[in-house]
Amino acid sequence: MNTGRSGLAGGVLRGAALAFVLVMQQAAAHDGPHTHRVHIEDFAFVPATITVRPGDTVEWINDDIAPHTATAGDGSWDTGLLSTGSVGSIVIGADTTGRIDYICAFHPHMRGVIVVERDDP
Amino acid sequence: MLKFVTPPLALAAAFATFPAPAQVPDLNDLEIAHAAYTAGGIDIRYAHLAMALSEAPAVRDFAAVMLRDHSAVNEAAGALIQDLGVTPQDNALSQALLAGAADNIDRFRTLDGAAFDCAYAENELGYHQVVNRTVSENFIPAVTVAPLRDLLAEALVTFRAHEAHAERMVAELGCDS
Repeated sequence: MNTGRSGLAGGVLRGAALAFVLVMQQAAAHDGPHTHRVHIEDFAFVPATITVRPGDTVEWINDDIAPHTATAGDGSWDTGLLSTGSVGSIVIGADTTGRIDYICAFHPHMRGVIVVERDDP
Repeated sequence: MLKFVTPPLALAAAFATFPAPAQVPDLNDLEIAHAAYTAGGIDIRYAHLAMALSEAPAVRDFAAVMLRDHSAVNEAAGALIQDLGVTPQDNALSQALLAGAADNIDRFRTLDGAAFDCAYAENELGYHQVVNRTVSENFIPAVTVAPLRDLLAEALVTFRAHEAHAERMVAELGCDS
């Protein structure tokens, strides 16, 4: 077990860094809109489910050769065709809450979910 | 688990021209590139025919996916070939594929309605099954150029999605009942 000066100093620094990260994460949850990226790879949305807040942006980047879309299950929004490397996005409406199911319009077996949560106490 | 369709006699020619993976001749990188590109081009031709002859939504949706996806894969292949500065080599497998496709298209043109839809759907399922096994068991292990191997592996993901889609199409059309 390392109890020397450098070990203690390293531990203090690591602790400070961890505390900083935690503070930043807490701040990030409340400091305005954020952008969430979903990759489309191997005919799947990755991650398949994301949690966002009203006003956030969701981006999809197509890592496959085949073209894809991200399209609301109810047809209310659509990124349009995303060729390889293309990015499409939507902004979550201020009044939106709950679960949004979406698919690839070209390959409907590809399914994803956006969960919209509010910061309300 | 996906089943391996036993083709009806009328479709036997579709598979006879594409050897079983164990019987695929040894091909070099440039011949494999040519055969893979040719196989994609053939499926695009089948899809154009389906869009012209079928009114079934399941068939038309599938054909639209084939047009879009195989065009994208072949565009990526063309870009890679250009980057590598090489020319794919025609070979016996590519020629057999084209000859078999010509026979199939001639036969498809004599069909209409449900007969065409099932012939197209079953051919697509069988075609993707055989092509996918060939790509995974023969082409990818044999290729020596890493970018081509990577492209084939990426394309195989697409083609396997097509195989699953074709299986759903056949079931939806009731062709195997």
